[in-house]
Amino acid sequence: MAFISSGYNPEKPMEGRITDIGPQHYAQFYPPVIARNKGKWLYHEIIEPGVLVHVAESGEKVYTVRVGAARLMSITHIREICEIADKHCGGHLRFTTRNNVEFMVETEEAMKALRDDLASRKFDGGSKKFPVGGTGAGISNIVHTQGWVHCHTPATDASGPVKAIMDEVFEDFQSMRLPAPVRISLACCINMCGAVHCSDIGVVGIHRKPPMIDHAWTDQLCEIPLAVASCPTAAVRPTKVELDGKKVNSIAIKNERCMYCGNCYTMCPALPISDGEGDGCVIMVGGKVSNRISMPKFSKVVVAYIPNEAPRWPTLTNTIKHIIEVYSENAMKYERLGDWAERIGWERFFQLTGLEFTHHLIDDFRDPAYYTWRQSTQFKF
Amino acid sequence: MAEVSFQGKTFEVDEDGFLLRFDEWCPEWVEYVKESEGIAEITEDHQKIIDFLQDYYRKNGIAPMVRILSKNTGFKLKQVYELFPSGPGKGACKMAGLPKPTGCV
Repeated sequence: MAFISSGYNPEKPMEGRITDIGPQHYAQFYPPVIARNKGKWLYHEIIEPGVLVHVAESGEKVYTVRVGAARLMSITHIREICEIADKHCGGHLRFTTRNNVEFMVETEEAMKALRDDLASRKFDGGSKKFPVGGTGAGISNIVHTQGWVHCHTPATDASGPVKAIMDEVFEDFQSMRLPAPVRISLACCINMCGAVHCSDIGVVGIHRKPPMIDHAWTDQLCEIPLAVASCPTAAVRPTKVELDGKKVNSIAIKNERCMYCGNCYTMCPALPISDGEGDGCVIMVGGKVSNRISMPKFSKVVVAYIPNEAPRWPTLTNTIKHIIEVYSENAMKYERLGDWAERIGWERFFQLTGLEFTHHLIDDFRDPAYYTWRQSTQFKF
Repeated sequence: MAEVSFQGKTFEVDEDGFLLRFDEWCPEWVEYVKESEGIAEITEDHQKIIDFLQDYYRKNGIAPMVRILSKNTGFKLKQVYELFPSGPGKGACKMAGLPKPTGCV
């Protein structure tokens, strides 16, 4: 396509430049009923999975229909969302913090028409474009990351496994049968962008081999002290190596100290670490961010390694499904997965789920590891 | 890897226009880069920042933190941006021939 200028002049880049204007004010995009009743809501109800109603002091109601979204979406898809909003909601809509889409209307009839319209739309492959759900004690969207779509440090994909997992647990997106909401998150490396460290179920991509060292380029492309300081176990140190008869500054890695976090590759492009067979996922469970009943918790590693099995990750999805099933059969009402596991004891969690307890799961990172061991005789056989 | 020629010199650069080797830096490089970085003329102030970045890199093996750059050169971050519209990383470090900034940028 031919070049079409937006009016920007590369000869004078600072001319007519607008900066620091921030985002648009959110009130500009309120549906009228929201604008009128802001700060005056009395109560709300979940009418059915994916449909909420909020009632204001004035008696006005707003019905919200929540639909799943793939997060990664085309402008065509966004235009279809806009078309629906134009048709039913006066052009208004919103995205949730789990990347679902919410359409709001003022009457029950309009809500029903909207809900049925949304539920009827499908992609050519057959998947639902706008599955209604994600409310109450079910499984809402999966907070996830870039994976092989865009990032350079992933150990697994994001969009692929998320689609595979949501297909497996789809019924729980459209129902509210669980003891409490189950939040699933996925991060494709241990940078843990997103929410895996504080989710009921977290999936994290991991490596199992130390980085390769491109000696020819380490001193050229990298600031070596940064790579040294990036290592949590101090496995990285500067060194000189002989390369084609020349001494060059480079990096040495103590493999027995390396736990393959990949931080040094983040800082230094000459230390690539990704590996087809070595890479895979860990599963963490039991995290939460809310303060309800118990304090917020970190999720804990319960499965040390599951291989990458593109495109459907069957072992990963089956394990997650199984954990959810055991949790929903055993936990009490309002009990989040972490609350349940802590109440029955982690040894019972492993027994009930049948997950293998391997030495990888025992914390060995610095002094705090000690506090994760059992300094008590209280345990169940 | 791409190679660019300018005033009789050739430079090996990456896709973002950073020099692949600090040793290949020469004053012509600054002349070559300044246009793409939105700089009309290299003033003494520009030179002062470039010189400091290079000294610091030779001595420490890393680029200085922004606060150290400001404290040593006396330029507030705002002034650094006035001199180098792309900022200290993409603008000044590139012109000084330092390696491309890494991490979650």
